[in-house]
Amino acid sequence: MRGSEHWIHMEFFIQQLINGITLGGVYALIALGYTMVYGIIQLINFAHGEFFAAGGYMGVILISWLASQGLHPYACLALALALSMGYCALLAMAVERLAYKPLREASRLAVLLSALGMSIFLQNGLMLTQGVYDKGYPTEITSGGFEWGLVSVSYMQIFIVGLTATLLVGLNILVFKTRIGRAMRATSQDKVMSALVGINSNRIISITFAIGAGLAAAAGIMVGLYYGSVNYSMGFVPGIKAFAAAVLGGIGNITGALIGGLIIGMVEIFAAGYISGEYKDVFAFIILIGVLYFRPSGIMGENIDDTRV
Amino acid sequence: MKRLLALIAALAVMTLVLTGCGEEEKAGKVLRIGTMSPLTGPYAADGNDIRQGAEIAVEVMKEQGGVEGYTDIQLFSQDTACDPKQAVAAANKLINEKVTAVVGAYCSSSTIPSSETLAEENIVMLTPASTSPQVTERGLPYMFRTCGRDDHQAPAAVKFMKDVADVKTLFIVDDKTTYSQGLADGVSIAAKAAGIEVLEHDHVNQGDKDYSAVLTKVKAANPDMFYISLQNSATGALMVIQARRMGINATFMGQDAVYHPNLIEIGKNAAEGMFCTFGAIDKDAPAFKNFLSKYKAIANNEPGAYSAYSFDSTMAYMLAVKAAGSTDPAKVRAELMKLDFVGASKNVVYDEKGDSGSNYTVYQIKDGKFVPYWNSLTGDKY
Repeated sequence: MRGSEHWIHMEFFIQQLINGITLGGVYALIALGYTMVYGIIQLINFAHGEFFAAGGYMGVILISWLASQGLHPYACLALALALSMGYCALLAMAVERLAYKPLREASRLAVLLSALGMSIFLQNGLMLTQGVYDKGYPTEITSGGFEWGLVSVSYMQIFIVGLTATLLVGLNILVFKTRIGRAMRATSQDKVMSALVGINSNRIISITFAIGAGLAAAAGIMVGLYYGSVNYSMGFVPGIKAFAAAVLGGIGNITGALIGGLIIGMVEIFAAGYISGEYKDVFAFIILIGVLYFRPSGIMGENIDDTRV
Repeated sequence: MKRLLALIAALAVMTLVLTGCGEEEKAGKVLRIGTMSPLTGPYAADGNDIRQGAEIAVEVMKEQGGVEGYTDIQLFSQDTACDPKQAVAAANKLINEKVTAVVGAYCSSSTIPSSETLAEENIVMLTPASTSPQVTERGLPYMFRTCGRDDHQAPAAVKFMKDVADVKTLFIVDDKTTYSQGLADGVSIAAKAAGIEVLEHDHVNQGDKDYSAVLTKVKAANPDMFYISLQNSATGALMVIQARRMGINATFMGQDAVYHPNLIEIGKNAAEGMFCTFGAIDKDAPAFKNFLSKYKAIANNEPGAYSAYSFDSTMAYMLAVKAAGSTDPAKVRAELMKLDFVGASKNVVYDEKGDSGSNYTVYQIKDGKFVPYWNSLTGDKY
């Protein structure tokens, strides 16, 4: 009897661990956008959560439309993912051109307010065009999974973790192995100097926004598929959590964003699992405050120039 | 000559302005009704249903010749966002619009503080959706409720669990609003009294999308029934999807806030078989059919869960004003107490507290529709 009790506790723990990794992966993908933009122009892009929501909406619209054209569900999903990421990348470039670029020489406060305004504008734009009702995702595509006793892993969770890992590896290659990546790192270190050696910093900033928003769009689709619906205001709460994750990991640091996302996700799930669901946000932010108290620059630090974008 | 022309022109303009004023004074008798509901935010679906329900009632009243003594009926809609502070601000805005009655709000946590503000101005408030007992228990003379009460809903749900579903163990989750937690507490107390074991009563936060941690607990506890008291149908749908995906085999039961077409639309197969308590609305009754056809024609969409209650609340007020011949709150209250009309939701009769009785029925989701399953008043299955 005691043995089986013990197993139940073990299985409970493993299940919560899996839940935590899934949620953490989503936060990490959104956090990357915050951290990359901060790394390059020291701006906290408050409109970032809105790219996540826009990606989620674009995903459901495209998946439904492609499915009505008779495409295989997986092909629908892959195509919708690629197109939504592209759409959000373009949206982010437009936002950057419109709301941030004219303020490049202005005080940081002005850009920050511009970002807040953009967030409100985009969120209300979504509400007016897509309506106030939740939009359901076709969850059948990714139903099913594995089960061992109490532990169940859905295909969707595997898909989320797999896609997050793939995107992270891709991002690392982009940043550390390509010319664009080198230009990004150079711009983040010294805008004037990198311009002197012939890097078009405006173009690099634009590309950074595009990549961050593309990742957020992927997260938006995964959240829609995993949880079952999207809503115009869905960007706000995950946006705040992902921002916390970015700060926790060391804002401006790519590896930090991943670690921060996973920590916030895990803490939330374990607080909800072992204490009570109502305290999960409390614990997530206690960890954030605690880390910032002892390590103000975050876990990975924000000034490791090699990993900073 | 030119001066003369100018003089004539000036006089003409003056006349126009004066007639304009005169006309406005004549049209001064406009019946002004406010609505308060969450038009934005997570509860916007129910909130917009409430606003539309009131709009349709005004349209229907106008078609029937309007209210005598009033040239027009105007509706002023305010957004509460289910936020107590914004609800009070909305109530103040409606006071400035000189409304004589307010239909709303949706969340009990908005209705209670804003009703205090409206009570200071003796404005009649009729809530179509707030089921917390506190709404009508504070002795406000102009507070009316067209829907049911949670202290009736909780026992009805528990009676169903005990007598019909044969539930032995129960797991309860709420999302901590005045309404959702109040109701969940009520269910917990009633269940214990009825000899049902409450394995755990846990809470989630509003706006959460990820329920995996709490659902893992539910799975480990393995209850006969999983009672979901969330403030919103869409979040209810998310919880149901995730619970089924996790392989929770318990019977699901929700309440009147998750009872909404949205639950089925988003939850799809996962919502199939779930039970919900909601007021008994006879969808075959002529009054409801009439309301439905008007609603579809004017609003161009299907009514939501609370549309009919909002329609009836607005109708009740207009009928009372019609009978009283004025908007004087004391006279309107007297007429509202005398009122007995067959509305879209039910037969509306207000009691001394302003309540109109609860008639909770358990619905089951079957083939993508809410089907009446068990009547709490008679204790019979349909």
